[in-house]
Amino acid sequence: MVDLARKNLLHDKLRFFITVAGVAFAVTLVLVQVGLFVGLLDNSTVTIRHLNADLWVTSHNSANIDFGHTFSDSYVYRVRSVPGVNRADNLIVCFTKISLPNGAQESMEVYAMENFERWGIPWSYTGARIGDLRRGPYMLLDDSAVRRFGPFSIGEYREFEGKRMQIIGRTQGARSFATTPVAFVDFDRMQSISDRLLRGNTTYIVVKLEPSADLEAVRRELQRRLPHNDVFTSGEWANRSRNYWIESTGLGLNMYLTVFLGCLVGIVVVAQTLYTSTVEHLKEFGTVKAIGGSNGLIYRIVGQQAAISAVFGFVLGAGQALALRPLLSKLQLQMVLTPDFGIVVFLGTLVLSLAASAVSFRKIANIDPALVFRT
Amino acid sequence: MESNVVLEAAEVAKTFTERSISVAVLHGIDLQLQRGEAVALEGPSGSGKTTLLSILGCILSPSSGRVIVNGQAVNSSRPQLLHEVRKRSIGFVFQQFNLFPALTALENVEYSLNIRGHRGIEARKEAERALESVGLADRSNSLPRDLSGGQKQRVAIARALAGRPPILLADEPTANLDSTTGLQILRLFRTLARESGSGLLIVTHDPKVSAFADRTLRIEDGKLVEGSSPMARGPQDCIPQNDQEVMERGALTS
Repeated sequence: MVDLARKNLLHDKLRFFITVAGVAFAVTLVLVQVGLFVGLLDNSTVTIRHLNADLWVTSHNSANIDFGHTFSDSYVYRVRSVPGVNRADNLIVCFTKISLPNGAQESMEVYAMENFERWGIPWSYTGARIGDLRRGPYMLLDDSAVRRFGPFSIGEYREFEGKRMQIIGRTQGARSFATTPVAFVDFDRMQSISDRLLRGNTTYIVVKLEPSADLEAVRRELQRRLPHNDVFTSGEWANRSRNYWIESTGLGLNMYLTVFLGCLVGIVVVAQTLYTSTVEHLKEFGTVKAIGGSNGLIYRIVGQQAAISAVFGFVLGAGQALALRPLLSKLQLQMVLTPDFGIVVFLGTLVLSLAASAVSFRKIANIDPALVFRT
Repeated sequence: MESNVVLEAAEVAKTFTERSISVAVLHGIDLQLQRGEAVALEGPSGSGKTTLLSILGCILSPSSGRVIVNGQAVNSSRPQLLHEVRKRSIGFVFQQFNLFPALTALENVEYSLNIRGHRGIEARKEAERALESVGLADRSNSLPRDLSGGQKQRVAIARALAGRPPILLADEPTANLDSTTGLQILRLFRTLARESGSGLLIVTHDPKVSAFADRTLRIEDGKLVEGSSPMARGPQDCIPQNDQEVMERGALTS
């Protein structure tokens, strides 16, 4: 069958390019904005996902992993005594100030544990063995700190909490939502050098269960023994940390607004260009009707044009977004684009473009085939 | 016995109403078009020619009266179904050609066949045959912008004839052509219509068109006045072969 929709669309190449560019702009906007937001959310839970724990004991109503409150580190003994618990350790996550060689001070997020290796974090590092952290005033600093703290090398010293700490290794991929650089320090040392708030305290207890343990039963028992704390599975805790940024800050709303505006731009561009095209092709559509075509056939023509524009616009927009990824990566911004999300955006682009084409339907329905006789 | 009448109008009237002002454009039109017959419909501007053509072509519904296409009364109360009648039974040729600019000559013809339900290689071959019959086989891949006015009208004729509809309706088919090309087109159109056995109704201002018709009808103030058939011709009669013959026949009908 002769493809009038495609031929008409490609006949006016400038208009087609404008339509595709509009859709591509909207697709890029949505992919980049959502990808960056998901990337930040991914940062906010990256340590939870890598830490090999089944349950997290937190202070009551902790909002997310970055903002933990302290409770007694001796609670860990109660946790270890619960049947089904294979191991449990204290974990401190807190913000501190680091003094830089240029005299400035910057915020840093510290993860402190007795035995990092047992829990699988940090998951990527170079330099000394992690166990060496216990041997002195040492720390591992993530590569991403270069952007905020300036260049640093293994063996150099930095001062925080009034104490000189030697950098004995570099980690990769340890991030926080707010892009505050992350360091790893021995648990006892962190307690000893910090202010009184951390003395004898921790912010979390991480729990690994016996393989045969009933997770819900252990959780209930932990909750019973620690009534002033909360107990979450790793998945729940990651969701809670993620949702904090989405729901409790303007960032989620901002992201939704950007997605909405992106969709709006796409719809307006497609609707406007297809409507103009329909008006300019009224006589042709009148001819289609005169030679026996139905309104449905013309709806299909316009709908097919919208679908073609959507496909080309998506491909171009997705290509642009992918091209931006390495550039953003250089700025320490992670853009997460999963195949699932790509499919959702593609289907969204298709559906919204088809919806935009419906603006022309009323015009089509009212086409008088008798206009073919007018000069 | 099968009737030879392919198109019939009985007591057809049309009144347009706008802002409570009614204008009666057609009054009690009776008309019959036989298989293989060519009828010219003449009349001054505003006499109702195009309105009548629109009603006969099932593009417009009459205010009263009946239109019978191929023996079946057209149900004017459901205008959304009129396209089915047009698709099955009517081929149009327009003054402005109305070709699709993005489609080649061949595709213009093939698309019309597609609408009529022909698909694939069958439609392609039929379109090629139709283009060949109008002498444009060598221009089948040309876009309308690359064709002359006469060639465009030939493509339009091929499009109207493709699928062999029983009725062909033409609206001023030579108005945008020079007189020589116009006569060539009329000669071709008439010949092909006769060969395909279609009834042909041509609306025209041009008295020369009547030379190619078996009958000439004249419409004045919305009423039909049957003109004389100059040489008492029937569908079997010959088509004028030169300009002199055309002038003579045209003069007799005007």
